[in-house]
Amino acid sequence: MSALPEGFEPLEPFVDGWALGSADERMRQRLASAASEREAFFNAGKDLVPAALALLDKKSFDEHDPKEERLMLLMLSMAHVAQAVEIQQDDEPMHAHYARFITITRASADDNP
Amino acid sequence: MNDAVPGFEPVSKEDVAHLGTDPVPAGPYYEPAYFELEKAAIFRRTWMQVGHVCEIPEPGSFMVREFECADASILVTRVSDTEVRAFHNVCTHRGTILVEESAGTRSRFSCPYHKWTFANSGELLSAPDFDKFYVDKADCGLAEVAVDICAGLVFINLDPSPEQGLREFLGPIAQKLEGTPMARATAFSEYVYEVQANWKLTYDNFQENYHLRFLHPRSGEMANGPDNPFGYPERYEFFDPHRTQTIWSNPQAQPKPFQLMAFMKVAEFAMRDELDMVTRDYYGVFPNLFVLGTATTHFSQWIMPIAADRTRSVVRLYWIGEDDCASRRFAREFSLATALDIHSEDRAVIEAGHRGLASGALRHIHFQSQEALCRHLFNEVDRRVQAYKAQQQSGGDVA
Ligand code: FES
Ligand SMILES: [Fe+2]
Repeated sequence: MSALPEGFEPLEPFVDGWALGSADERMRQRLASAASEREAFFNAGKDLVPAALALLDKKSFDEHDPKEERLMLLMLSMAHVAQAVEIQQDDEPMHAHYARFITITRASADDNP
Repeated sequence: MNDAVPGFEPVSKEDVAHLGTDPVPAGPYYEPAYFELEKAAIFRRTWMQVGHVCEIPEPGSFMVREFECADASILVTRVSDTEVRAFHNVCTHRGTILVEESAGTRSRFSCPYHKWTFANSGELLSAPDFDKFYVDKADCGLAEVAVDICAGLVFINLDPSPEQGLREFLGPIAQKLEGTPMARATAFSEYVYEVQANWKLTYDNFQENYHLRFLHPRSGEMANGPDNPFGYPERYEFFDPHRTQTIWSNPQAQPKPFQLMAFMKVAEFAMRDELDMVTRDYYGVFPNLFVLGTATTHFSQWIMPIAADRTRSVVRLYWIGEDDCASRRFAREFSLATALDIHSEDRAVIEAGHRGLASGALRHIHFQSQEALCRHLFNEVDRRVQAYKAQQQSGGDVA
């Protein structure tokens, strides 16, 4: 059984690690992951983002089925991981060393109090 | 706006020399005694942000905020659609902290100790066995704190009779803040971090671009260029204790492919929300807030002094409306991740700066002309501290 909508099979291996329910968890996964894991996820996902967002934009969040919900969470993780892979590159380990002191206390994507 | 004009001209040394050119004493950046003076001279008598109206959206909403810089806990309540009140979060019976939650919806508050119960408008509604007291209920309302709103931000002033109203205090900055997305915001994303450093060192890090190319070689790439290798701003302005700078952006910047795709999404929603796409201003609001008002990278940073050597930064990205589609949700998460990256890189130097100064090795520090905003903050702080000391020494009533 596939965990994602049709057409997003290349992202299946990343669902367990990266479909995370809060922005703080997504950031922490970016900081905790190995460079090879980040690169594998980013490379598998970067060209799929426009198609994924176009698909997800067709429905309201309430109407997303579990596969679409997972795809949304993967897209949000891409927003974090892209900073590491595309922008920080080999500076990421140093950056991650400092970023771990930051806590995301609220995000528009999360269920906030 | 001249972002298409090549040959960037930095603000000249002469232009900001009116702020002074001497070295600045080091003590105020670490001494506990100076921090105590700041509490009395500034934090207990100046308008300070306590939150945003979207945190108290409906009658009965409340929020509690700790102001370590004034040893105060503050309760802000929305009594009605048009009325917001603020109080010391302190039971008037024997002083117990009244509300322990940081936010919620409740129109009355009962003290855990002996169950005195207050309305969200402050009056004492009921108190068990009140006949045994020697006082009237009407004289037992919560201690009120001055509160007012500008640009969606809720401000308080702990001075029992503030010298100025909020609008007067903010001056021309008020109108500028009203033009930022924050003024229309209904939601926000937020991240928090503490540093082992004085609040002015924390603030100053975000008031100068001199360090940009050294600390943000990657994340700051878009903010400097051959014409302006340090990414200095185009302009500085000073409005009494407040200050602004107009951010320069590199017309030749080359975003990375994924970054470009995400920026296009961010820009699309900024335009849909009819944000001001031209202004690129930073507003430093005295004493402890700054707001970056650009349409595509907007955030506020609230610098909360905890002790002479400890500071909490609360960074917020304000949003107009809830996430209404996947693309908007993605764009907001990308903006959040982008801002967070830049902040995380500054932490180590802020702490290292405090450690160095607190050793007592230096009597003075130096600000160059492109650190004018740092000097301005010091001037405004120190003027108040010295005036307070003089008042104390002359035995004046400083309430
Ligand atoms: S201290 Fe609050 S009811 Fe007694
Ligand atoms: Fe910085």
